[in-house]
Amino acid sequence: MQTQILPVGGMTCAACAARVRKAISKLDGTDNVVVNFATEKASFSYNPDILRLSAVKEAVAKAGYKILDAASADEDKARREKAVRVLWTKFIISAVFALPLLYIAMAPMIKFVRLPFPWGLNPMTFPLLYALVEIALVVPCVAVGYKFYTVGFRALFMRSPNMDSLIAVGTTAAVLYSLWNTFQIAAGSFGAVESLYFETAGVIITLILLGKSLEARAKGRTSEAIKKLMGLQPKTATIVDPDGAEREIAIDDVEINDVILVKPGAKIPVDGVVIEGGSAVDESMLTGESIPVDKKEGDKVYAATINANGALKFRAEEIGADTALARIVKLVEDAQSSKAPIAALADKVSGVFVPIVIVIAIIVGLAWFIGTRDLEHSLTIFVSILVIACPCALGLATPTAIMVGTGKGAENGILIKSGEALETACKVETMVFDKTGTITEGKPKVTDVIGGGDLVNLAASVEKLSEHPLGLAIVAAATDIAEATDFESITGMGVQAKVNGKLVKVGRAVYANADQSIGDRLADEGKTPLFISIDDIYAGVIAVADTVKPSSAAAIEKLRGLGVSVAMITGDNAKTAAAIAKQVGVDTVLAEVLPQDKANEVKKLQADGKRVAMVGDGINDAPALAQADIGVAIGSGTDVAMESADIVLMRSDLNDVPTALKLSKSTIRNIKQNLFWAFGYNVVGIPIAAGALYLFGGPLLNPIFAAAAMSLSSVSVLTNALRLKTFRA
Amino acid sequence: MRRKLSLLLTITALLGIFAGCSNLDVVAKGSVTSFDAILTAMGDKVTADEMNGGWALEAPDNGVKFIWSEDYSKSPLHDVMLEFDAAPFIDAGLDTDMLPDSFAYYDNKLMVGVKLGNDALKYSGDVTPLKSYEQIVSKYRKSIGYHTSLDHYNVAIGDGNLFEWAKDMSVNAYDNSAQDKDIVFVLDPAPFIAAGVDPNTVDGWAFAKVTVDIDGKPTEVDKFLKPFNLK
Repeated sequence: MQTQILPVGGMTCAACAARVRKAISKLDGTDNVVVNFATEKASFSYNPDILRLSAVKEAVAKAGYKILDAASADEDKARREKAVRVLWTKFIISAVFALPLLYIAMAPMIKFVRLPFPWGLNPMTFPLLYALVEIALVVPCVAVGYKFYTVGFRALFMRSPNMDSLIAVGTTAAVLYSLWNTFQIAAGSFGAVESLYFETAGVIITLILLGKSLEARAKGRTSEAIKKLMGLQPKTATIVDPDGAEREIAIDDVEINDVILVKPGAKIPVDGVVIEGGSAVDESMLTGESIPVDKKEGDKVYAATINANGALKFRAEEIGADTALARIVKLVEDAQSSKAPIAALADKVSGVFVPIVIVIAIIVGLAWFIGTRDLEHSLTIFVSILVIACPCALGLATPTAIMVGTGKGAENGILIKSGEALETACKVETMVFDKTGTITEGKPKVTDVIGGGDLVNLAASVEKLSEHPLGLAIVAAATDIAEATDFESITGMGVQAKVNGKLVKVGRAVYANADQSIGDRLADEGKTPLFISIDDIYAGVIAVADTVKPSSAAAIEKLRGLGVSVAMITGDNAKTAAAIAKQVGVDTVLAEVLPQDKANEVKKLQADGKRVAMVGDGINDAPALAQADIGVAIGSGTDVAMESADIVLMRSDLNDVPTALKLSKSTIRNIKQNLFWAFGYNVVGIPIAAGALYLFGGPLLNPIFAAAAMSLSSVSVLTNALRLKTFRA
Repeated sequence: MRRKLSLLLTITALLGIFAGCSNLDVVAKGSVTSFDAILTAMGDKVTADEMNGGWALEAPDNGVKFIWSEDYSKSPLHDVMLEFDAAPFIDAGLDTDMLPDSFAYYDNKLMVGVKLGNDALKYSGDVTPLKSYEQIVSKYRKSIGYHTSLDHYNVAIGDGNLFEWAKDMSVNAYDNSAQDKDIVFVLDPAPFIAAGVDPNTVDGWAFAKVTVDIDGKPTEVDKFLKPFNLK
């Protein structure tokens, strides 16, 4: 199966998205079809052996929609901006005609205020002229809103009515009834002037266009984060030919192993490894980390990051879709196209919403007519029900919040891979941290030196010839390493060599003729003591430990504040594990766990009925990450972690873990608010439009107010989703 | 875009043709037809009024006349007016001296009206009551109104006083929901009440709340009404 994401044109509401999903799902060889109204994209898996993409395009076209050509970020942006411009222009044209139309229709009806009104248009004195002026004003509104009719009636005839169908049927009923009354006026029944509803149609179209314009704008803003990411990559690169000549080429022409020069202040065009020079590089656009990272020969550099102060030459290793940036963009795009389980109800409802509303409108309209014999009253109710019903808000409630939430995450270096992950993350009860590389730095360091003289340099001179990780820590701490000879490694004891003619031993207490008790305190603190003797005389102890990251304790405290219990899993012995646990404040320690057993430990926690998240570096923790309800990979967006985890933290800062959880909680809370509003509008609005208040002596809802409420529902849902942009970690 | 533009132009053109082919002032046009029907139905109750230089339409009870001028340059006082018996109002407490200047009191009659203009009206052929009415329609269109709720036309006689008649004497209300009178003489009660009249005791005039159109707004006001059915 191959996964495909295609942009879909012509969708105007959630019912359209449901229709497209149905059309694609019907085809043999498709699976996991998700159509996102907010992103206007269809995502699906298909078997290329039994289905061609052209068949998918045909099926979508047959359903009344169009698969658009895949566009670049710029083209997509331009297309969206044009759509917003067109909608605004239409709205302005419609408003220019609808406002005077509303005025001449309503001014004579306002009882307590005498608004200026041209005598020549007095409906009681010149009813036919009045009606014709209203027609002249409503025609441009209908003309600019023609798409509601072409799309709406086509969908209706194809038995898949959408929101446009509701607008089309509602306003057409108002216009036709008013035209009939205009002919009545012309025929001498001047009283029919009181039964003109042209302004209803004109104002409804205007308000819906306003709502659509605001919606399009807000929808554009929900995907700003991804657009920002996509726009980061420079368009050109300066490559250095083997003869040393420099030339600027388009980014698409860069090939793997090209040597690329990046001058100070310039953006790094593709991913690669530094081969010459050194500089600080601002990687904040990828990791959210504001402090520039020093780069030297052998270090990895990433596309779109900014070279700060020195010239760098690097060899291109990943280009095009393989760069970290492209993979992040893809990951966020996929997440934004995905659906959260919480959206399932809204999706189901919006799929059948419009036909049900039409049936309700017909039944209620007829019931009122039978009960009152008042055609106008019944028509008002019929139009109000059609117009107030809003499947858009239902369709936008979840995806817009996910788009803003995941976008906000990406801005902060938190990549949430799907809507499902987002939803599950907010329900996490237990967070299991891998110790090495996650809670700790993952690189042992010299923490204590007991003993005088040049102990560290002496030990380093011996350890330089060793490959032991603890030895490397001592080498890293040394300032002056002498040449050592006669190196020998004694398994289980330590290493020794001659330095400046003296025999230097580094290892266990017994090996260095030391008293073991000297190292006990250090061991209690989770440190590894390395005893040193010079010419078999005990000289001192160097303690080496994998230090806790500065952010670990604070992050774990934050998680506990969020009501999450924290566990640490490690292969270390219980003593060391307990010491680290004490430093950072975890609730549960799972020590001496082999890498292959980490997944089982997660499974045990899950068996207790807990929702478990696993935080690890994503390589040896991959099975545990997969087993957990949520796998959180930390430290890089460039390795296997991106594949195995549900959430990828680009920085090594553990504070991003509670931030991810908080973002997830905020997003899900936002989705729930949106769904509440979206359902609430319809659950409250439709009965009011149906005359529920009027039945008990209350007011009857004017269709114009129904249209305003409907437009407001979509806009308020989008505005609420955009509030997530203000999320602070 | 071209298609949309041509559609818009077509609709506009159709509207233009519709407007051009029709007399848009359907109220004015209809009022003439129905006034003619009233004149016919009234028969000898429509007479020349020499004193006021016009025509008089007298109520079947002879208590009130609607008078309209045939030549505004020659009208002595008003161009459209109501002349009615003062006795019922005096009996109800009217002090005629307290009436505003727009009222004239003579020979136990009261007259209220409005001067429309000073035009010397020209006619083709004989001067008839209908032709004089048509002059009002063509020259002082603002004086002609339409009372939606009753499906009546009316001539405004100033200060809320009216003469109304049914658009269609057989079916009065436009939606057939109510049958109303064929002609109605309407007086604004305010100056009478201010001049001492107890509005509920004016013999032959009903004191009632009616909905009238003021600046296109349906507004409920008090009126003295003298309605008649002709058929």
